[in-house]
Amino acid sequence: MIIAERRPIPEILENIAGYDKVLILGCRGCVAICSAGGDREVAILAEAIRLAREKQGRPIEVLEETLIRQCDPEYLEPLKELLPKVQAIVSLACGVGVNLIADLYPSARVYPGVDTSFYGANVELGKWVEKCRGCGDCIIDKTAGLCPIARCAKNLLNGPCGGSQGGRCEVRKDMPCVWHMIIERLKERGELEKLLEIVPPKDWRPAGGDGLRVRVRPDLAY
Amino acid sequence: MKLAILCCNYTNLSEREDLYEIAEDLIFKRFPCGGHIEITDILRSLREGAESVCVCVCEKGTCHNEKGNERAEKKVLGAKMILQEIGIDPERVGFFYVPRLDAEAFVEDIKAFYQKLSSGVADFTKEGKNK
Repeated sequence: MIIAERRPIPEILENIAGYDKVLILGCRGCVAICSAGGDREVAILAEAIRLAREKQGRPIEVLEETLIRQCDPEYLEPLKELLPKVQAIVSLACGVGVNLIADLYPSARVYPGVDTSFYGANVELGKWVEKCRGCGDCIIDKTAGLCPIARCAKNLLNGPCGGSQGGRCEVRKDMPCVWHMIIERLKERGELEKLLEIVPPKDWRPAGGDGLRVRVRPDLAY
Repeated sequence: MKLAILCCNYTNLSEREDLYEIAEDLIFKRFPCGGHIEITDILRSLREGAESVCVCVCEKGTCHNEKGNERAEKKVLGAKMILQEIGIDPERVGFFYVPRLDAEAFVEDIKAFYQKLSSGVADFTKEGKNK
């Protein structure tokens, strides 16, 4: 899922400093699952903003709403009714949602309430770890399902580097060396020869190096 | 000083009469379990005029719902982090594990929290309006 983190409240307050009626708009997609922008986080941020503005002596009216998703135009339809009621929106969706609102409702003053961080997994309660970088050209068929683009600090295609020690990364000791893990796993499977193939330099165009990425399925699109 | 006490209903049955010595203005909010106390409940209590909030839950290992009390501790931590961000002293929020139905321990904890705060806490509403 897409992992996001709430932006510092002072930054959000600064964005809405000129308004006295705003909507906090949550999303029940990825950001709800990673506890950054679902119903509960909308309620918390709304209450924090009310409290902060009362402390400043400038009370604010804060509306709360959470949509099923913010990355599909049909789920943004309720905004047609909500927008006239407020001066600005703080969206707790990932950057996709904020961008789509800005595309579909050009007059809306929409501000991001979260920083969109990475694609990750919920490995334990309250902890999310990056597993994929969305580079558009998977090589994990060769690396026992472990992605060196996302999980190696140097994005090495032919690892490990010389800095890997005791299975830990030299960049950060709390981070396992993914290339160490790949080799150990392939060894266990008797598939170490897979690594004899030298992977050539990566073509970064599918990762976004060629501009805006668009996917079209002709059997669905009109 | 106006004090809000957010408390699991099964932790303690004390009432404001038990705390007559310490606070002129008490708000008691009882919940079916400490795990039901949300960050918003703490923030809302402050916004509604409480100058400090005391969250009391059952001792570890005695929660009817296993870990509702520990969840409450996390919620208090979350509320404190938010208060820090918006410039309100997080020490305004206190958290206590108290023995079940032991009114004396409950009252003592709240009394100690109240006394600690009343010796050094200013009215944040006035502070804000002066800015």
